[in-house]
Amino acid sequence: MDNKIFKLKKALELLKQKGLDGLVIFSSGAFYFLRPNQLNYFSEWRPLGPRNAAVVSKSGKVALLIEPPWDLNRASQKSWIKDTRGTRNFSKDLTSILREFDISGSVGVAGTGEMTLDVYQAIGEAARVVPADDILEEVAREKTQREVEIARKTGRIADAGFNAFLEYARPGIREYELVGEMEFAMRSAGATDNFTLISSGRHNYSMHPASDKRLAPGDIVIGEISPVFEGQVVQICRTVVLGEPDPLLAEKYEMLVHALKEAIKQIRPHVPASSMSIAMNKVISDAGYAKYCYPPYMRARGHGFSLGSISPGATIDDETKPDFEKDQVVVVHPNQYLPETGYLACGESVLVTESGTERLSETKTILYSKGV
Amino acid sequence: METIQPILKRGRDVWDRINMPEAEFRERAQRIQEKIRKENLDVMLVYGAGLNEYGNSCYLSNFVTKMPQGALVILPKEGEVTFIFQGGSRELKTVQTTTWIEDTRPAMDLPQACVKFLKEKGLVPSRVGIAGIREWMPVREYQVLMDGIAPCEVIDMDHVLREMRMVKSPKECDQMRRASRIVARGFDFISGAAFPDTNERMIEAMIDREMRLEGVEDVRILIGKPREKQWALRPADDLPVSEGDSVIIYLALSFERYWAEGIRTFSFKDSFFEKPDLGTFAGIFEKGLSGMGPGRTVSQFYKGLLGDADKSGLEPILDYGLGHGIGLGPNEFPVIDDKSPIEMKEGMCFVLRLAAKSKKFGAVMTGDTFLLTQNGPEKLTV
Repeated sequence: MDNKIFKLKKALELLKQKGLDGLVIFSSGAFYFLRPNQLNYFSEWRPLGPRNAAVVSKSGKVALLIEPPWDLNRASQKSWIKDTRGTRNFSKDLTSILREFDISGSVGVAGTGEMTLDVYQAIGEAARVVPADDILEEVAREKTQREVEIARKTGRIADAGFNAFLEYARPGIREYELVGEMEFAMRSAGATDNFTLISSGRHNYSMHPASDKRLAPGDIVIGEISPVFEGQVVQICRTVVLGEPDPLLAEKYEMLVHALKEAIKQIRPHVPASSMSIAMNKVISDAGYAKYCYPPYMRARGHGFSLGSISPGATIDDETKPDFEKDQVVVVHPNQYLPETGYLACGESVLVTESGTERLSETKTILYSKGV
Repeated sequence: METIQPILKRGRDVWDRINMPEAEFRERAQRIQEKIRKENLDVMLVYGAGLNEYGNSCYLSNFVTKMPQGALVILPKEGEVTFIFQGGSRELKTVQTTTWIEDTRPAMDLPQACVKFLKEKGLVPSRVGIAGIREWMPVREYQVLMDGIAPCEVIDMDHVLREMRMVKSPKECDQMRRASRIVARGFDFISGAAFPDTNERMIEAMIDREMRLEGVEDVRILIGKPREKQWALRPADDLPVSEGDSVIIYLALSFERYWAEGIRTFSFKDSFFEKPDLGTFAGIFEKGLSGMGPGRTVSQFYKGLLGDADKSGLEPILDYGLGHGIGLGPNEFPVIDDKSPIEMKEGMCFVLRLAAKSKKFGAVMTGDTFLLTQNGPEKLTV
């Protein structure tokens, strides 16, 4: 079935099930990788203004309201939604569409997490607001082949980012310059955006956006490399030592790689997501670091990444209830603070398959070193 | 100008204490505390959020939100301020390197943390001033906050931050100059580099790289091809840039928290972006600037510039407006329109832009960042 018809048909089924007159899918233009970007997923268009929404009626009418109005042409070209309308008065025009579409009883609203009071009140004047983020998450659970291919391509872009990381990480370069080169490599490979965190030093505490610190011989450089392509994020976590790695560091990193492998072994459809975290924490705990597996040192052991859903969740830990499902994209990262080595980055994104997992990147997760 | 927001503000994140010393922030906090006392408030909550609207909280804390999250500065009527950022305890060490506020706290649930703090300090009930909260806090968080402080009298104090931020201090003017110079260097790069066999995305990647190597925090680029049938500024796409194309490039960036933007029209020839002679259009833009000065209102300036354009037979394109204030946000007050009664003052920074139809290029567009001085506008993007 055509992607757009599938999305609309399934959304309408869910509206009917929930007894809703319609659905408003709102976006503030922000793109948060730990929250489903529902309007982007549904409309297949990434908004740039602070207030945008798709309105769906239970009878199947769909309109896309766009701010600023000069972005209308791009929306018309990118989105499958034919009824596109620019606005200079978002709240007023949104309520007009609700009336035009006879949405006056209960309206599901997706995206309230990024909606401000004025818009919420405007919708509330037209109909009874029912939070409905779950509708699009439910629609997005079933992946199309195109979405799976997008995830695979994003994995290859992440490799391009890591190759640049390895090439440019050297004494003297500043963290922000290194990130600039990584980002250029990923954009050149097709990325539309990047989420890159980094840290460098003899003993790191966490990863962060780049500072102007210069890399020095002996530094452990850690990076979380997460390109975005067509709205899909894939993440890999890598550690590079500038110089010969200390044997203790090599030993500890090997332990994390073992934890990663044991965690990935657990992933297959119909298995609780917590099993991945439990397997990872067992390896690290058995090595004597049980207390470092939990807050305040560590929290998530991974999370989902997807276009319209981050299922099985923004945090996968020992308590995560949902099961893994086929075609989910999941990052598995035993990124770990250890008292002897500091914070180390180690992680892979995988696609959940019928029988287990498919790695989305090709570069190996090992402790890399560069001669200086 | 509205642009695609990145997933993370991931460029160089530092606090240069010479460029922006702690005393500057303390002085801002003291001025607000004076307002708190004058308005007979007990406490003020100053909120900023996301990648465009972090200005309010950053103005007081120097902290910039790097994801679509919030940050809150709590100012009592006297004494030290408190800063709560949305994030985990693991981020605290890094955050502390970029803020002067000693009492800095992480919170995954920002409104709950704020309510808890106010209750601990005996400030529920009290008279609470708020800035940026109604406008920018997501409604679910807003409701939690308002329910939590329900016995309090809540007074809107948005105007206080707005007015303070509109007029830049000498230190802020220097930051605006630094950011603006990088914009100018960006355009120098565009007009000096070869872009053979390339497409829009690759051009964007090259400009982005140059700007990041200059140490910027955030880069926003839009492209317009005014010979296209229904052209508009838009993010780069997988489209070629071909010989003879007219190309408008919008470039905005933030450097050490402060934004600057510029717009240029180019002709693409022999793999280079050439700066064409825009003829009378450029002259009208320059002439229009003479109407900008302390004491005049924003609407007077707007009407003057468009009046000049009209007299000269120019057909302005007003979809993108004529500009607005700029500073800690890419889009600040005042908006330059025909109604604004705001009086222009020395120290205000503006983005001014003008677009017009053109037989030769389809359309032409220009824009720069200006500082208003006693003697008129000083172009910073040079």
